[in-house]
Amino acid sequence: MVAAKNDMKRKTHLHLLPTVGPITIWIFFFVFAPVAVIVAISFFATGSGGEILPRLSLENYRLLLFGGSEYPRAVIRSILYALVTNLICLGIGYPMAFWISKYGGKFKALLLFLVIVPSWSCYIVRIYALKQLVGYPGILNDFLLNLGLISSPINILYTPAAVVLGLIYIWLPFMVLPIYASLEGINPSLLEASLDLGATPQWQFLTITLPLTKGGIFGGAILTFIPALGDWLVPLLIGGNRVWMAGNLIEHYLVVRGKIAMASSMAVILTATVVLLIYVFIKLGGEESMERIV
Amino acid sequence: MKILNARRINTIVSMIGYLFVWAPIVVLAIFSFNASAYGVKWESLTIKWYVDLFHTPEIMQAVLRSLLIASITTIFATAIGTLAGYGLYKYKFAGRRFLRMSVLLPITVPYVIMAGALLVYFTRIVHIPLGYPAIIIAHISFSAPLAVFVTLGRMQRINWSLEEASVDLGANTLTTWRKVTIPLLLPAIFASAVLIFPWSFNDFTVTYFVAGVGTTTLPLYLFSMLEYSLKPVLINAISLIFIIMPILLIMLIYLSKARTKHGS
Repeated sequence: MVAAKNDMKRKTHLHLLPTVGPITIWIFFFVFAPVAVIVAISFFATGSGGEILPRLSLENYRLLLFGGSEYPRAVIRSILYALVTNLICLGIGYPMAFWISKYGGKFKALLLFLVIVPSWSCYIVRIYALKQLVGYPGILNDFLLNLGLISSPINILYTPAAVVLGLIYIWLPFMVLPIYASLEGINPSLLEASLDLGATPQWQFLTITLPLTKGGIFGGAILTFIPALGDWLVPLLIGGNRVWMAGNLIEHYLVVRGKIAMASSMAVILTATVVLLIYVFIKLGGEESMERIV
Repeated sequence: MKILNARRINTIVSMIGYLFVWAPIVVLAIFSFNASAYGVKWESLTIKWYVDLFHTPEIMQAVLRSLLIASITTIFATAIGTLAGYGLYKYKFAGRRFLRMSVLLPITVPYVIMAGALLVYFTRIVHIPLGYPAIIIAHISFSAPLAVFVTLGRMQRINWSLEEASVDLGANTLTTWRKVTIPLLLPAIFASAVLIFPWSFNDFTVTYFVAGVGTTTLPLYLFSMLEYSLKPVLINAISLIFIIMPILLIMLIYLSKARTKHGS
């Protein structure tokens, strides 16, 4: 019996190597190692010319947090934009998911597909398309001017509102999916029972549907809040150089100015913020919100 | 009466959502046939920009580069990811939960950070040359997790007794893999590849960080066109041919497959 069990175990080990082996090695060398390197670099001192000195210090963090740097403000701005984006995505995404789930009938798959498909196309193209439609000069402005509905062009580009609009446009589909999955997972007999017991549809929604889709809502929150928080292309392309989020500063210090240590410290601060927020969302939404992400 | 109102509001909000998601892309597609080169005003119908596109060597080169990178990435990421998904589902082992969480890491940490970390790692630590090697390695890091989760999601629906039967009937491990396991995994492999190829082809952020000089993929080329406001109408044409059309095609394949499966 024991021998058989040991045999089973050895067999499992034999199978582990070719199946989960490659990804383990890959993740170790090309995910963990790079992250470990920037975490380590962030704790080294920087010389006057930007070179990394072999001396441990908290200088980068001190400069970033208390040295009058623009970074803390950029992080707070990013959190704020991501929060507004997230709430508006929820406001549009929940009704969409609910509508597909309830009235989609045999077109459910198609309707869901129509939400996701645009998110498969190139990020740059999508932002450009939005810019061309609502910007100035832009197609919508031109159209409204010609109709005489507005007397002077409305230019929303390069404002915080434009950045938030862009973020909603990019991340909305990722709110619909987990909520839809959650709605589809509700046991229909619960809904029937509540109606039998005399609940009005509104009451039923508030007491049964909404609480049961909590996991989907927080799953969607993770999928929209986190990427919106770390976004840098929307502020770059729609916000011009006027509205910088945390990601823009990281890119600027790393690529343009070559200040690796400073950029690493910024990345560590932003990652810590993200991890903390994911933790809060999972605590609020329960285990299900984790499942709904993947 | 009240129900009707709630339902109507629900429908209206949903329609606004669909309109918001689709209008910019549809308008972009329509305006790619506009004769005016710079304006947002409609002039007349033309396909001149599409002809121009194929006569601009830089664009064609960028497309080929993107196709090459996306193909290699898809092959490796799908292989690694599908195997991992299979192993994670089939075997219980110490560190299984940890591995699952670790696979999530590259897709939950903001792209700028992961891409920046890879840039520092490649240039300062392991000295992998920027350009093709760096881009492909980085793309696999980001897209293999997609294959892992696609595979995990499909594993429950597969009838694994066929695999056991094959072993019981005396087939060795390799034969079982070749004749039973891989055919059973094919839908998962296909679904992963269909997700990963466009991801790699369309990726901007990761490529931007590790491309170095000279390896301009299509999204990087589009970005430089936008930055310097070159020929906006050409951008519309590129978008339609290389980005939106393939995606619509994939969608059609997917839907037709779903329908045949439903019918049988």
